[in-house]
Amino acid sequence: MPREAEPSINDRAFLLQALQENIRLDGRALDAYRHLDISFGDDYGVADVRLGKTRILTRISASITAPRPDRKFDGIFTITTELSPLASPAFESGRQSDLETHLSRILETSLRRSQALSTESLCLVAGQKVWALRADIHVLDYDGGLIDACCLSTLTALRHYRIPDTSVKGGDLTVYTSLERDPVPLALLHHPVCVTLNFFESGEKWLVDATLMEQQCSEGEIVVAANPQGEVCLVQKGGGGEVDALVLLRCVEVAMGKVRELGKAMDGALAKDAKRRDKGGMSRELRAENER
Amino acid sequence: MPLDTSTYHLALLRLDGRRWNELRRLHAQISTQASADGSSYLEMGNTKVICTIAGPAEVRGAARREGAERDNAVVTVEIGIAGFSGVDRRRGGGGGGKGRGDKRTTEMQNTIASAFQSTLFTHLYPHSTITISLHILSQDGSLLAACLNAATLALIDAGVPMSDYIVACTSGLTPPKSGTESADPLLDLNGMEEQELPWLTVGTLGAGERVSVLVLESRVQVGRLEGMLAVGVDGCKQVREILDGVVRRQGKRVLESVIS
Repeated sequence: MPREAEPSINDRAFLLQALQENIRLDGRALDAYRHLDISFGDDYGVADVRLGKTRILTRISASITAPRPDRKFDGIFTITTELSPLASPAFESGRQSDLETHLSRILETSLRRSQALSTESLCLVAGQKVWALRADIHVLDYDGGLIDACCLSTLTALRHYRIPDTSVKGGDLTVYTSLERDPVPLALLHHPVCVTLNFFESGEKWLVDATLMEQQCSEGEIVVAANPQGEVCLVQKGGGGEVDALVLLRCVEVAMGKVRELGKAMDGALAKDAKRRDKGGMSRELRAENER
Repeated sequence: MPLDTSTYHLALLRLDGRRWNELRRLHAQISTQASADGSSYLEMGNTKVICTIAGPAEVRGAARREGAERDNAVVTVEIGIAGFSGVDRRRGGGGGGKGRGDKRTTEMQNTIASAFQSTLFTHLYPHSTITISLHILSQDGSLLAACLNAATLALIDAGVPMSDYIVACTSGLTPPKSGTESADPLLDLNGMEEQELPWLTVGTLGAGERVSVLVLESRVQVGRLEGMLAVGVDGCKQVREILDGVVRRQGKRVLESVIS
């Protein structure tokens, strides 16, 4: 099993000493995110999120299958993560590492268990046909902030995705192509975003959006998933160094602020893309002349 | 099947007759398995866990090749969930075999391992492993908390030096009283309450308010979190008293047997 190369003793000491003076190696404030860039592919449901050097590509796809026998009215929504050696030499393909389990579990809890996507809206014919929605997350480059970027990328892709329109007439299901009817957006009930904070100096100091090296030098981390309406969907601090309860509450508060910030960035990117796709706007629809 | 807990506000009594700040019966024993290096048996209400410790022992087999040669001992956790432990019998769920079990179990293993990795004095045992095996005999809520408590006791029995006890318990939130927005926190949820109320597991180190483990997986308003956490931390203090009593009684018994 390949392991991540640990930072040298000198690098570690330098980073920690700089942190004592409230300086981060890349010059950010302690509670600042790296540069976030969200772009979209040509198809609906492809989101490419870059957070500093970390880059995540998520693709949403849908197919029609039979529902699970115990859940006749629910569609199927699966999230698969792929940590390939492409992203980092420490990742190995074809084997589930602890990081991958951790990541997929957090995504499942924050997006699936918190009912961000209403699976009932994916039902077509009860007990016979439902949409099976699939989110494939590909980590293309890894420099820390994996959970935040993956969650953001998946949610952005879900919000960007348009599912083919359907109609049911007398038990017959018709699926329309995008030429016949415009595909429709998914029914998302709320928009949870993950924020990770790392602890230093026996829990006295915390950083938002740690790079890989900061992550390796830290004593522990806490992941908070919340939606901009102020509902927490997940808080996870699995071991690591211990932290005062009041500091934890403060961290959750800071995370809420960051969630709103990330939510705004996501809204902005989606609105920009919608504008780009909608060339001419309503006036094109109303125009009498054609493109000959 | 969700269960109706809206009756709570009528008498302020929970389904099992407890008040909001009462723990369930916590019963623990130490040194239950003679063959293990350390062992414990813990009951939190109807959640029953046996924990055995192997080690600190030399690293063997595959782990050695995987680069475990460092200056610290490595803590590994195995969780076996008995098929008869839940309400519906599960086939092959856990079973203690390697690579079996679902993601929830794996995540629990990682959480427990990482919590003890930073609490035990692992630097005293270079090139070794400490294996914590948890056997879940019966589940009725607060599973992660029970596992953490049982592991603490077993590690004390094994004589592994640690900075303090890791103790854990759960806390939840009642459904909002009809007509008002107020929701009360609850301490130590059982299985039925866990299924329908928002809840969190909190694990603290020592008697203070140093939180080592915090897991919340349900949707809850951010303002409610503070109350839940406060009740949970307070519950941990109570649990610590009980566990401390168990350890002291066992110590006394050992001393008496040496003297006589």
